[in-house]
Amino acid sequence: MKKLFLIGLKDLQLMFRDRAALTFMLLAPFLLTIGMGFVTGRFSGNASGISDIPVVIVNLDQGELGNALEDVFFSEDLADLVEPTASDSPEAARQLIDSDQASAAVIIPKGFTDSIIPVQGTMFRPNTTPEPVQIEVYANPSRPTGAGIVKAIVDEFVSRVEEGRVSGMTSIIGLMQNGLLDPQNAEAEARALFENAGMTESTAITLKTDKEGAASTEFDLLAYFAPSMALMFLMYTVSYGGRSILAERAQGTLPRLMISPTHTAQVLGGKVLGIFFMGVAQVGILILASTVFFQVKWGDPLGVIVLILAAVFGAAGWGMLITAFARTPAQVGSVGSAVMLIFGILGGSFVNLEVMPPFIRLFSNITPNKWGLDGFTTLALGGTLKNLTEPISALLIMGAVLFGMAVVLFNRSGLVQK
Amino acid sequence: MKKILAIAWKDAIIRFASSSELLFFIILPVFFTFLLAGGTPSGDEDPRIRLLVVDEAQTTISEQIIGELEKSTAVRPEVVTRGEAMDQFDQRRASAVFIIPAGVDVESLQSGSAEVEMLQQPNNLNATIAERAVLTAIRRVSSAVSAAQNAVRQREAKQPFATEAEKQAYFESSLELAQNIQADSPQRVTVIEGATSDAIEYDPRANSSAGQLITWVFIPLFGISALFAYERQQGTLRRLLTTPSRKATFLLGTISGQVAMALIQMLLLVGFGIWVMKLNWGHEPLALFIILLTSALAAAAFGTLMGTFVKTEGQATGLSIMFGMVMALMGGCWYPLELFPTAIQNAVKILPTTWAMQGMLDLVLRGKGLADILPEAGVLLGFAVVFFSAGVWRFRYE
Amino acid sequence: MPNILEVRNLVKNYGNFTAVKGISFDIKEGEIFSLLGPNGAGKTTTISMLSTLYTPTSGDATIAGYSITKDPMAVKQVIGVVPQEIALYEDLTARENLIFWGQMYGLSGRSLHCRVDEVLEQIGLADKAKNRVKTYSGGMKRRVNIGVGLLHKPRLLFMDEPTVGIDPQSRRAILDTVKDLNKQGMTVLYTTHYMEEAQELSDRVGIIDHGELIALGTQDELTRQVGQTDTLVLHIGENEDADALAASLKGIKDVLEANATDHEVSIITPQAENILAAVVGKANERGIKIHSIDIREPNLEAVFLHLTGRALRD
Repeated sequence: MKKLFLIGLKDLQLMFRDRAALTFMLLAPFLLTIGMGFVTGRFSGNASGISDIPVVIVNLDQGELGNALEDVFFSEDLADLVEPTASDSPEAARQLIDSDQASAAVIIPKGFTDSIIPVQGTMFRPNTTPEPVQIEVYANPSRPTGAGIVKAIVDEFVSRVEEGRVSGMTSIIGLMQNGLLDPQNAEAEARALFENAGMTESTAITLKTDKEGAASTEFDLLAYFAPSMALMFLMYTVSYGGRSILAERAQGTLPRLMISPTHTAQVLGGKVLGIFFMGVAQVGILILASTVFFQVKWGDPLGVIVLILAAVFGAAGWGMLITAFARTPAQVGSVGSAVMLIFGILGGSFVNLEVMPPFIRLFSNITPNKWGLDGFTTLALGGTLKNLTEPISALLIMGAVLFGMAVVLFNRSGLVQK
Repeated sequence: MKKILAIAWKDAIIRFASSSELLFFIILPVFFTFLLAGGTPSGDEDPRIRLLVVDEAQTTISEQIIGELEKSTAVRPEVVTRGEAMDQFDQRRASAVFIIPAGVDVESLQSGSAEVEMLQQPNNLNATIAERAVLTAIRRVSSAVSAAQNAVRQREAKQPFATEAEKQAYFESSLELAQNIQADSPQRVTVIEGATSDAIEYDPRANSSAGQLITWVFIPLFGISALFAYERQQGTLRRLLTTPSRKATFLLGTISGQVAMALIQMLLLVGFGIWVMKLNWGHEPLALFIILLTSALAAAAFGTLMGTFVKTEGQATGLSIMFGMVMALMGGCWYPLELFPTAIQNAVKILPTTWAMQGMLDLVLRGKGLADILPEAGVLLGFAVVFFSAGVWRFRYE
Repeated sequence: MPNILEVRNLVKNYGNFTAVKGISFDIKEGEIFSLLGPNGAGKTTTISMLSTLYTPTSGDATIAGYSITKDPMAVKQVIGVVPQEIALYEDLTARENLIFWGQMYGLSGRSLHCRVDEVLEQIGLADKAKNRVKTYSGGMKRRVNIGVGLLHKPRLLFMDEPTVGIDPQSRRAILDTVKDLNKQGMTVLYTTHYMEEAQELSDRVGIIDHGELIALGTQDELTRQVGQTDTLVLHIGENEDADALAASLKGIKDVLEANATDHEVSIITPQAENILAAVVGKANERGIKIHSIDIREPNLEAVFLHLTGRALRD
């Protein structure tokens, strides 16, 4: 048992002497975590991840509704979200979008207000009144999120206006049909009604939203991205560890270990333990660093520790399997990097798995990344070790099965025996 | 010239000596492009977000709400039982669940006591989008009711109802009227995507195709540094330089070979974009070629510069993947640059990836032409010259 | 002296190829035994089996009474091995390497550190012990490589061609170390393809070729097999027909044997001076120019030549 530890510790020591590997294992995930922090707005204090969307407003309408929409964009409520500029010329505004200076232009054409609030002498039948005048949202295709938000704001505004119109129309037509309102007065009455109704809150159905655990814990995005990057580069570390088995064979230290009074099982166990130590050290350091630098709250510390151990175990299984298949250290290296990237994306480090087709989601279950991330998310939301049964058992089973396969392969190929 | 070709050919042989190189050359890029595009090769599948709906009310109102949701461009409602929904939600297989409890009907709407429920995964953009869609749907359904209520109030103000039944009848006819008016509402907003000749909408697949192309071409080009480290370790670099060849000949040979390989790789990926993902890559072949070539040159020159300070092959491989990924992420190749804070958006202009991405998006997404991408191509060429000169200057053979 | 090592009919097959074809020999406690043979003769395979790294296809050996097949763990405690290739962690310092390997042999605590200091002294690297091995010269690495094999004071030390590819100075140092160790009572099994090393070091020599032990005994016993003969070596031009010359030389009286290799012809004869004139005459007859002539007293080289008809360094 003691020799097992000694071999493992020796490997850990060697890892810390390999500056290139250390850079890759620690600096790369750290930098990517920072990058993801920027993408998601973690560092700009904005939950949606986007702020100050540049938008150009061209108000050619100058009627009540056009002005109201312009006011919405310039309002205090949206001050953080959008950064509006007014312009007189639709062409100039479109030009700004085409040269990627703004996310979208909102062009309110002349006559927009009049197309909704009937002007004198135009109102006789409900929907045959003036041709609808459309607001143009000229969107920047390379800024989909910003343009989408601008469009949503305009949609929201228009649907409120529409509500007012529907409500007013219904009242007026009802009154007219019952002969309580003569057409001469209808127009004046309707204008009054529209203008008021347009701005009233009118939801007869209340929506209760329940964001899981959101009430008790503020979810920190970095509590997702920091472990996701750490887990991705953990896959590199385990293959690095696996590679060291083949490297020791090539440099002759592995046979030398076999000659010393040490059992083969102790030697292999020690190497595996080395991989395990390296993985734990790596993930531990990364988690510690994000705690120190970004004040990430991880949740239940016991849960975090157990989860790290389980995740490294599962990942180490992959490292051993890759090693068992490979013939040279270089092969382990390139296959390891490839597996790292594939598992990274499949495990949800870059994209939301939900948008993926079902077979991809099914496939993601073989990655330690997916289960590890599941666990870290649960913890960050206030879960404890008790809630981690599923990810932890998945990781442990994964590790055990992969180790089993690796041992069978090692036996078949013969680690040192010729 | 012959020497340059000889060097380039030797590099190609060394690079593809291990078959796993193919993995990085074409397999991984295609895989990543596919996944980041949302896992659908040509957008045939319904791209709307799946929203689980539990309908326990089974009333006309609940039917109307679901009907409105089906019209949504953002979500795709899927009616399931409560148990099934909770199960999927707990396993994080659904980002949001919308529950219409028993008792949501016209009466409860009239009295204002109707309540629906929504469960959302935390910090999930899809859940937020689903919430918006649900709000819009219930708003449309309830606005007809409130319009009818409003009509009843207006009528009452002019002439009170004789009986409660009369009032109810008035309400019902108003509701029907309101729904009809609503249904006939004209489209009042039009969205036009900027500067695309054919009216294609923003396409995450275009973003993914261009971004992944850059990522996966840049990483191996940064890997030129590994080639230098390899030759330095083998001592062949020293030997090469004792032959009557200049340093610049050697560097040019190495770079042109790798750039040629990168161009082949890019053409394969562009081909994937055109034929499998049906993207508009090919409308300006000359402009496309120029932006691909200048991007590759900038990346290769950066690899040369890296080659002057890395010591071992392993170090070079690790660093090129690291620089490749970080530069790609920060250059907007994975997520649109607009998501970054303004200061960062300006800061990342020092990265070649930012310019390469911008140039490619101009072509594939904005449908621009040769003249419009020349500034980007110029900047990329500038990067190439600066990195290459620094590389030649700092170059060591052992 | 009792036998510390007894090898009986050791065989190792790799598929159809038999690397070691049933060799048997003993080593007495306290002696230096050399296994001499050309590259690929089966020396390393033999050492690998004796050090329990490879399992023999058949046969067995006992070391200090323990069977290498039945009780490998006990064998490992008794032996020390210095592998042919340097087997060290280059990113660890010499001291760290020695400490790690000492631990693998079950040493610990104060005794480990004392022993490491002793070994560092012995291999002459005490002042450089804190440098990483990768900064060492080839000769220094070789010395650390040997040091690791000495840590647990093995009774029997296997040294597998420890002088391959190093400078004369380091080679001298290694040979002296081997002699010192032997004086202190360590038994050494030394493999080499350098005849001079075997000659300088060994009490007894086994000559191995194509996986077979073709001769075994003290140096005297072996040279006596060749008889009181001299070896006459003719160096001739590259384009000359050595085979034809050798064939014609066999006709000379007192030439026991004549063998051609490349541009050398080796002749075994009881008394070299007596045939010298005749040999030169034959060469002149055929128009072959002789560059130089060596006369060698009986040695292991001659034994090998006698037994195989080939020079050792083929």
